[in-house]
Amino acid sequence: MVLVLALGDLHIPHRAADLPAKFKSMLVPGKIQHIICTGNLSIKEVHDYLRILCPDLHITRGEYDEEIRYPETKTLTIGQFKLGVCHGHQVIPWGDLDSLTMLQRQLDVDILVTGHTHQFTAYKHEGGVVINPGSATGAYSSITYDVNPSFVLMDIDGLRVVVYVYELIDGDVKVDKIDFKKTAATTHSAH
Amino acid sequence: MLKGKLKLPDKARRVFPDRLGSLVAGFNDDKDEEIGGYDSVFECGEELEIIHSNGFGSGRASDDVGGGDDDCDKVEEKKKMVDSGLEKWARQKPEKDGVGLVSVKEILAADEKRSDLEYELSQKEINLEKLQRIASTGLPNGGGLRATAWKLLLGYLPPSRDLWEKELIENRQKYAKLKEELLLSPTELTKIKTKVSKSDDQGADGDIDGPLRRHEISQDDHPLSLGKASLWHEYFQHTEIAEQIDRDLQRTHPDMKFFSGDSSFSRKHREAMRNVLLLFAKLNPAICYVQGMNEVLAPIYYVFSTDTDEQNAANAEADSFACFVRLLSDSVDHFCQQLDNSSVGILATLSRLAELLKANDEELWRHLEFTSKVEPQFYAFRWITLLLTQEFNFQSIMRIWDSLLSNPFGVQDMLLRVCCAMLLCIKSRLLNGDFVANLKLLQHYPDIGIEHLLQVARDLSPDTSSYRLSL
Repeated sequence: MVLVLALGDLHIPHRAADLPAKFKSMLVPGKIQHIICTGNLSIKEVHDYLRILCPDLHITRGEYDEEIRYPETKTLTIGQFKLGVCHGHQVIPWGDLDSLTMLQRQLDVDILVTGHTHQFTAYKHEGGVVINPGSATGAYSSITYDVNPSFVLMDIDGLRVVVYVYELIDGDVKVDKIDFKKTAATTHSAH
Repeated sequence: MLKGKLKLPDKARRVFPDRLGSLVAGFNDDKDEEIGGYDSVFECGEELEIIHSNGFGSGRASDDVGGGDDDCDKVEEKKKMVDSGLEKWARQKPEKDGVGLVSVKEILAADEKRSDLEYELSQKEINLEKLQRIASTGLPNGGGLRATAWKLLLGYLPPSRDLWEKELIENRQKYAKLKEELLLSPTELTKIKTKVSKSDDQGADGDIDGPLRRHEISQDDHPLSLGKASLWHEYFQHTEIAEQIDRDLQRTHPDMKFFSGDSSFSRKHREAMRNVLLLFAKLNPAICYVQGMNEVLAPIYYVFSTDTDEQNAANAEADSFACFVRLLSDSVDHFCQQLDNSSVGILATLSRLAELLKANDEELWRHLEFTSKVEPQFYAFRWITLLLTQEFNFQSIMRIWDSLLSNPFGVQDMLLRVCCAMLLCIKSRLLNGDFVANLKLLQHYPDIGIEHLLQVARDLSPDTSSYRLSL
């Protein structure tokens, strides 16, 4: 039972001051084993805060990040799953499923986490999953001002991952759940 | 006829045959009390005769005593071996540890006891008093006898044999259910729940590409939930305890392959013990888990899982849980900090130990209390709360626990006696020591003969000033 937090596009301090209070009260250290961050934090203080939540932190560079040494993409293996992270502004058209799956095949991962659109989406494609955790602070994106704060928590257990989606809608936290089972055949995904 | 034999050691010591006198000179009690007495050494001639006649006895369903003829041959051989053994013995230096040297005489005595025990345990209605008496002289290692005896003595198994099957199955099922309720991680629980409720949805998601379906869930069902009713919240609250338990288990008996090391064998055992301790902690939030409970569980679990009966060994976890709870129920107040100063707390027990020592050996008591100022808190705390598991090697612990569990007045009573006996056995060293030396000695208790220790414990006069009817 490995808990992985996926979030990004906080844009602190440029577009938002802080995470919503309700999110902050839920995110306590000790529960989460890994954090995946798609980028655009944008400053070091946010990096330090995430470090407190969990020492195992994986970040990729977003276009507004002040730290220039984050990588463009990152892959890691947790349990039976291979995860890939990328901010997403490099993938054009932004948020396009086919282009993202090209990136997924390139990185050869089961779960690809990208951001940049500030909208939560979760797609299943050819045995892999593409997740966009949205913006954890609800900052406006390059495309739209209408953004709900959201982030994603994945519970990886063997060949099964349960994705919990946390969204702040009208001041209340709504939690949804998505189940995904990896079939053994997907390790050799067809091109 | 053979029951009388158990009293023989005392008789024999006074009346041992002359020709053996010189040979066993080394074992005399004129050396100071630290040498373990070999009770079985002395009854050479007499004992063999009894076995001889018993070999032809009838009606005893005893596994290791074969047919009458075989037994006769065995005894003849042993007689020859004993004579030559005695020669060798005269030249050997006496061993300090009572359990070390395996002599032929001891083998004979042990066989006797084993068949006695098996007889008792094969009865339809077990006579608990008789069992207690046999057990207090020590139970045989190996085989399932100790496991069964301990289960009976702790009250886990009822005295009437017919009910055993039912009791065991019931208790094991109860344990499995408890485990399911309290120990499963929330992921596993939700897995079970979803398997039950929606299997069609899963199938659909599995095949079609495209946006994944979101299912709404309640506020308590997610890992970050802070609600009191949430399974996840409860789970995380217990991770700290679980971590401490894990740490302690890693340190349990590092010299024994059964508990330590990285083999899957020892990992399985640590996992089982972890479950037992975690379950205990969850069911008793007032005491929770206290460091040291792993040491109390270790002998119980070891004995039960080395049971030669396969069924019992497989269910060692469930059985050890029940017996662990029973064993701790006496001393559970010792672990509760709030009760420290009350009449049932650890300080009260420690003062009872001091009183017992005073009643039996005022000189030593005075020396410890006033001259060297070594108070029971400094050394006996660990003795009492951990039931002496940290003071002796593993074999000795099992022997001592045989006596503890078989005391008709309860474990605590015998425990205090053994602690007092421990003090008496090293009396001369204590009287010569100051605070530092005595404390060092008591905190690293020296190796002494266990049988002798237990004999002293049995012979102590009880402290009647604070006598209370236990049980």
